[in-house]
Amino acid sequence: MSATATRTAAPQRPTGSRRDQVTRRRLATAGVVATFVYLIPVYWMVVTSLKTSDAIFRVPPDLIPLPPTVESYSRAVFSDPDIARGLANSAIIAVGTTVVTLVLALPAAYGLAKFRVRGVGVVMMLMLIVQMVPSVNLALPMFVLFSSAGLVNSYLGLIIANCALAVPLAVTILRPYFLGVPAEVVEAAKIDGCNELTSFLRITLPISVPGVVTVAVVSFLGAWGEFVFGLSLATSEGIQPITIVLAEITNEFGVRWNDLMAVSAVVALPVIAAFIFLQRYIVAGLTDGATKA
Amino acid sequence: MLPAVVFVGATVVYPLLYSVLQSFYDVGLREVIQGGAQWVGLDNYIDQFSRSRFWYSGFISIVYAASSVALTFAIGLGLALLLRRDFRGRNVMRALILVAWVLPTVVSANVWRWLLDGSYGLLNALLRALEFLEGDLFWLGQQVTAIAAVVFATAWSFAPFAMILLSAGLQGIPKGLYEAARIDGASPWQQFRFVTLPQLRPVSLAALLLIFIYTFKTFDTIFLMTAGGPGGATATLPVYAYNEAFEFSRFDTASVATTVLMIVPIALSVAYFRTLRKETAA
Repeated sequence: MSATATRTAAPQRPTGSRRDQVTRRRLATAGVVATFVYLIPVYWMVVTSLKTSDAIFRVPPDLIPLPPTVESYSRAVFSDPDIARGLANSAIIAVGTTVVTLVLALPAAYGLAKFRVRGVGVVMMLMLIVQMVPSVNLALPMFVLFSSAGLVNSYLGLIIANCALAVPLAVTILRPYFLGVPAEVVEAAKIDGCNELTSFLRITLPISVPGVVTVAVVSFLGAWGEFVFGLSLATSEGIQPITIVLAEITNEFGVRWNDLMAVSAVVALPVIAAFIFLQRYIVAGLTDGATKA
Repeated sequence: MLPAVVFVGATVVYPLLYSVLQSFYDVGLREVIQGGAQWVGLDNYIDQFSRSRFWYSGFISIVYAASSVALTFAIGLGLALLLRRDFRGRNVMRALILVAWVLPTVVSANVWRWLLDGSYGLLNALLRALEFLEGDLFWLGQQVTAIAAVVFATAWSFAPFAMILLSAGLQGIPKGLYEAARIDGASPWQQFRFVTLPQLRPVSLAALLLIFIYTFKTFDTIFLMTAGGPGGATATLPVYAYNEAFEFSRFDTASVATTVLMIVPIALSVAYFRTLRKETAA
């Protein structure tokens, strides 16, 4: 259903009557206003991060930081070792989650798409239902179980926890892509001497690249912004992802809102950047994961 | 296929069952570290069910989820209807609005706390300029306004998602229905009321259920904005369960809360898949 949502039909722009043109101009104005109002929080984050420490307490506040300053970034982001470590930890966890998710989900989704064995329906149902489980419901028992397994405060523990959310989503996203690969093409490859593995690597996988990109991006961003597992499974500072570091410095920074907004902007940056370039994939992934039964 | 199924079994199904089992044992921090928890039967349930805070957290979870869903849906539908019309730049606008949805919760929660700051927040500055407010108002410091604030922040994040789902639904409505309505002399409002709304019903139902499940289990937005406060006013079941476990080291009573918490999403997801099936079949 989201396939139709993301693939916006090329807008036909009939050179209609004058009245149509006026209506369209009004609509465009309404659209600009709605978008701007909607993004005020994002705008305010950026504006605040560019203000001096005096300027943030001005009443009424300046709507534009004049003159803008990057002192918050140099002070709170680039010269703070906690932030650098948090960013590095998040990068490690997010990359690890992406890799493990792909390794587990690719063969699973392929198997669930290609082999008509019993229980496929049950497994797909399981993959969908586990996505509805609250993260807290997993984080609490994981803390208890990981405590005895020595996985609390380890990258591996955090990667496993993140994959618990990412793998079911990935399988749900990938299976339709593999279902869409025509059986005849795979048959032809086999006649030409491919086995199950090489036909998967040379035929099915290249055709399904958009699905793989979707899964990779969604897994990475999910782990990058993840909060509950980091909060409960990373109690020592050295291992904490940036989301937890950011939540902790919130208390420490107190009213240094400009510094806090600068760190927030840096945490948001990879997400916004990925979104600008890969919007199509992210939207498809996050809606298909929930709506493809 | 097998490794992934085993993985999901080990990392999702097993912890969930473990947690349910734990709700029948006496589990404090000592038992977590050393093991040897005692079976206590229904004691933890009896203990929790006799606490007004537990019932309040269940109640506020429903209030929070229901209001968030209503607001999310209203905003999402409004945006979907606006961006459905053909005008220049609408694809860019859609993409920009979707940024609200993908933003990490820590980021948006922090930004909301700053926007809602009692003395220097942008919202209060606006309200003062419009002469609705004199002096300071600490939104997150009072019960009713704190609940309203987390609902609003939640709706802001989820409305773009609702917009996507509803846009798909709107595209599925046959254009002929509108033409027929116009020929019969229906006003734009009547077209919306008698064509768009009924046609959008199946998609709306699925979207409402899905968003209810998502908001009902929301932890991070509330935890980061209010930590369940003030005075437990915004302690929904996930926040309550987290605090039981990590604030008071009661992993047993926390498991009671998560077990109860799980009932709603699972029951609703069964309903959700039914509507989804019907929708696909129709």
